[in-house]
Amino acid sequence: MHIVVTVKQVMDPIIPPSHMAVDASRKQVVSASGAPAVMNGYDANGLEEALRLKQVHGGKVTAITLGNESARNTLKRAVAMGADTAALLCDPQWQTLDSFGIATVLAAGIRKIGKVDLVLCGRQASDSDGGQVLYWLAQLLDLPVVSPIIKIEESGADALVVHQLMDEECQRLRVELPALLGISSEINEPRLPSPKGAVIATRTMIPVWNASTLNVGQVAGKVTIKALDIQVRTGQAEIIEGADGAARGRALADKLHQLGLL
Amino acid sequence: MTGILVIGEMAGNAVTKQTLETVAAALQLSVELKQPVSGALFGAGDLAGAAAQFNCGFSTLLLVESERLEQYSAQQSVTAALAVIAKLQPSVLLLPHSARTRDWAPQLAAKLGSGLVLDCVNVVVGEDGLAAVKPMYGGGVWGQHVVHGEPAIITVRAGVFDCAKPDAGASIERLEVPNLAPNPRIEHLETIVNEGTDGQQLKDAKTIISGGRGTGGQENWHLIEEAAAATGGAIGCSRAIVDMGWLRWNHQVGLSGTIVAPELYIAVGISGAVQHLAGISNAKTVVAINNDPDAEIFKRADYGVIGDFKEVLPAFIEHVKGYAK
Ligand SMILES: Cc1cc2nc3c(=O)[nH]c(=O)nc-3n(C[C@H](O)[C@H](O)[C@H](O)COP(=O)(O)OP(=O)(O)OC[C@H]3O[C@@H](n4cnc5c(N)ncnc54)[C@H](O)[C@@H]3O)c2cc1C
Ligand SMILES: Nc1ncnc2c1ncn2[C@@H]1O[C@H](COP(=O)(O)O)[C@@H](O)[C@H]1O
Repeated sequence: MHIVVTVKQVMDPIIPPSHMAVDASRKQVVSASGAPAVMNGYDANGLEEALRLKQVHGGKVTAITLGNESARNTLKRAVAMGADTAALLCDPQWQTLDSFGIATVLAAGIRKIGKVDLVLCGRQASDSDGGQVLYWLAQLLDLPVVSPIIKIEESGADALVVHQLMDEECQRLRVELPALLGISSEINEPRLPSPKGAVIATRTMIPVWNASTLNVGQVAGKVTIKALDIQVRTGQAEIIEGADGAARGRALADKLHQLGLL
Repeated sequence: MTGILVIGEMAGNAVTKQTLETVAAALQLSVELKQPVSGALFGAGDLAGAAAQFNCGFSTLLLVESERLEQYSAQQSVTAALAVIAKLQPSVLLLPHSARTRDWAPQLAAKLGSGLVLDCVNVVVGEDGLAAVKPMYGGGVWGQHVVHGEPAIITVRAGVFDCAKPDAGASIERLEVPNLAPNPRIEHLETIVNEGTDGQQLKDAKTIISGGRGTGGQENWHLIEEAAAATGGAIGCSRAIVDMGWLRWNHQVGLSGTIVAPELYIAVGISGAVQHLAGISNAKTVVAINNDPDAEIFKRADYGVIGDFKEVLPAFIEHVKGYAK
C-alpha cells in the first residue's frame, strides 16, 4: 500500500492573537515573537495513521508539502517520525495560492509520485481553518473522499472501513481504494520522532519540485484574501473577591443568583 | 445568474434554528445585492411542515422529496443541489455550516468549479464583489475573502445571525430529481448514535459547565458533574479532555467541537485558547474559574474567580443547592 500524506507547515496554533501581527498589505499573518512554525496538527494525525496502516499492510509512506524552503523542516519531522520519502513543492509563483491552487499543485505532485492507494490529508489546516483543499484534491484526482475521520478499521486491501464524525453521530462507511480521507485528531496520538528517526531525517534527500518539474502553469484562483484583521481581546472579567476559594465560590453563586442565572 | 439561494437543513421534521439564521444572512445580503432570495429543502417524506417554518421572505421555495434522502450521503446532496441550482441559477448559495454541509458543499463547489468559503460570520458586498468574512487561525484572525465565480458558495457559522421570521410568502414547488444515488465507491454500513450523551444537547443548553485540563485528573471530575447537576446544566469540556479520553467528542466546545450559545457558561480550569473561545462567542454570561490570574479566559469572561477549583466548586455547589430549596 502506497500512502501519501499531505502535511502543511503552519504557525504554532498555541500562539494567542495578542502575539500575532499582520504585514502592511494585511495579507499575511506572522508570529510577533518569531516562534517556530509547526506541522499542522491534523496532518500529524494523518501521518501517524499512515504509519500505523503501513505496519499492518506493509508498503510505503510519502509526505508532501507545498510551502517555502523553510517548510523542509516539517518534511524532516515527517521523515523522523517514519515517512519513507518526502517531497517539497516549492516555487515563488505559488506563494499566494488559494485552496484550489494549492490542491492543483498537490494533485500534480501526487500524480508524479505514481500509483497511490490512499491519500491522507488533515481535516483542516489550523492557519486557514479552510477545510477545503482535501475536497478539491479529491476532485482533481477523481478519488472518493470522506472527512473528518476518527477511526479506520482493519480491512482488506481494496477498501477501508472508516468512521466519519457528524454533528450527533458517526457514519460507518466502506470506502473503496484508492481514496482520500480527511483525518481528525480523535483518531490517534501522533508519535514523537525517535532519535534514530532524527538521524535518518538528516541523511534523507528531500527533492524540491517546482512549477516546471510538475508542469503546472498559472492557476486562476477562486477566492482572494483582501484583508486580514487580528481579533485582539481587550475585555477584563469582573473578579469575584473573597477571603478564600470557598468564600469566592459562595460569592459567585450569590452573584449568579442575583443575575437570575441560577 | 441572479438571486441568493439558501438550502436549509432539517432535524427530524423541522428546519434547524441555524437554517433560519442563514436565511437572515441571506435577507441582509439581498438588500445589499438587490437580488431576491429563494429557498430549497431536501429530505425524505413530506416536507410541507418544515417548508412552512422555512418560508421567510422567499421568492421561490423548492422541495426535493425522496425516500432516498433518508440516509445522508454527500453525493446525493450534491446531486439535489445541482438540480436546484440548474433551475434557479443563483449568484450566491448560502448554507448553514454543519457537519453535513462542510462535507458536501466543497464537493458541490468542486463539481461546479465555484469559489467556496466555509464557516463565515458575515457576507458583505464591496468594490471587488462579494466578500465572506471568515474566522481563521482558530478565530484569532478574521479574513475577508473575495469569492469569484457563480454561484459563490458560503456556509454560515451558528449563532451569528438572529433567526428570520416565516411569512408564507413564496408558493411551494416540488422538484423531481432523478439519479439520486450515493457514491458507488462509498457504502454506508451503519450510523453509530452517541452513547453517553446526557440527554441535554450542548447546542441548545441554557447552562453549561465546562471543564478543562486544569481539572487535573479524572478523580476530580465529579465536581464538574455535581456543579452541572446543581445548576441543571449540561457538561462541556475543552479539547484537552477529549484528547485524554475522559469524555467523548460530543462534549467538546469550540472550533472543532460544538458552537454553543447558553445563557450561562462556566469554564473551569480552561485557559481560553482561541479555538475554545470560538465556540462560546455567543454565550451570554461567561464565568471563568482559574488559578492563573493571567489566563486568556479572563479577557473573555464576564465574571472571574481566581483560585483552585477544588476549593471554589464545592462551596459553590453547596450554595447553589441552598437556592434550589
Ligand atoms: C485546529 C485546532 C482546533 C482546536 N479545536 C478546539 C476546540 O474545539 N475546543 C477546544 O477546547 N480546544 C481546541 N483546540 C485546542 C486548544 O488550542 C487548546 O489546546 C485547548 O483548548 C486547551 O485546553 P484547556 O484550556 O483545557 O487546557 P490548558 O490550556 O492546559 O489550560 C488549563 C488551565 O487550567 C488552569 N488550572 C490549572 N490548575 C487549576 C486549578 N487547580 N484550578 C483552576 N484552574 C486551574 C490553568 O491555569 C490553565 O489556564 C484546537 C486546537 C487546534 C490546533
Ligand atoms: N500547503 C500545503 N501543503 C501540504 N498540504 C496542504 C497544504 N495546504 C493544505 N494542505 C492539506 O489540506 C488539508 C486541509 O487544508 P485547508 O483546506 O487549508 O484547511 C490540510 O490539513 C493538509 O493536509
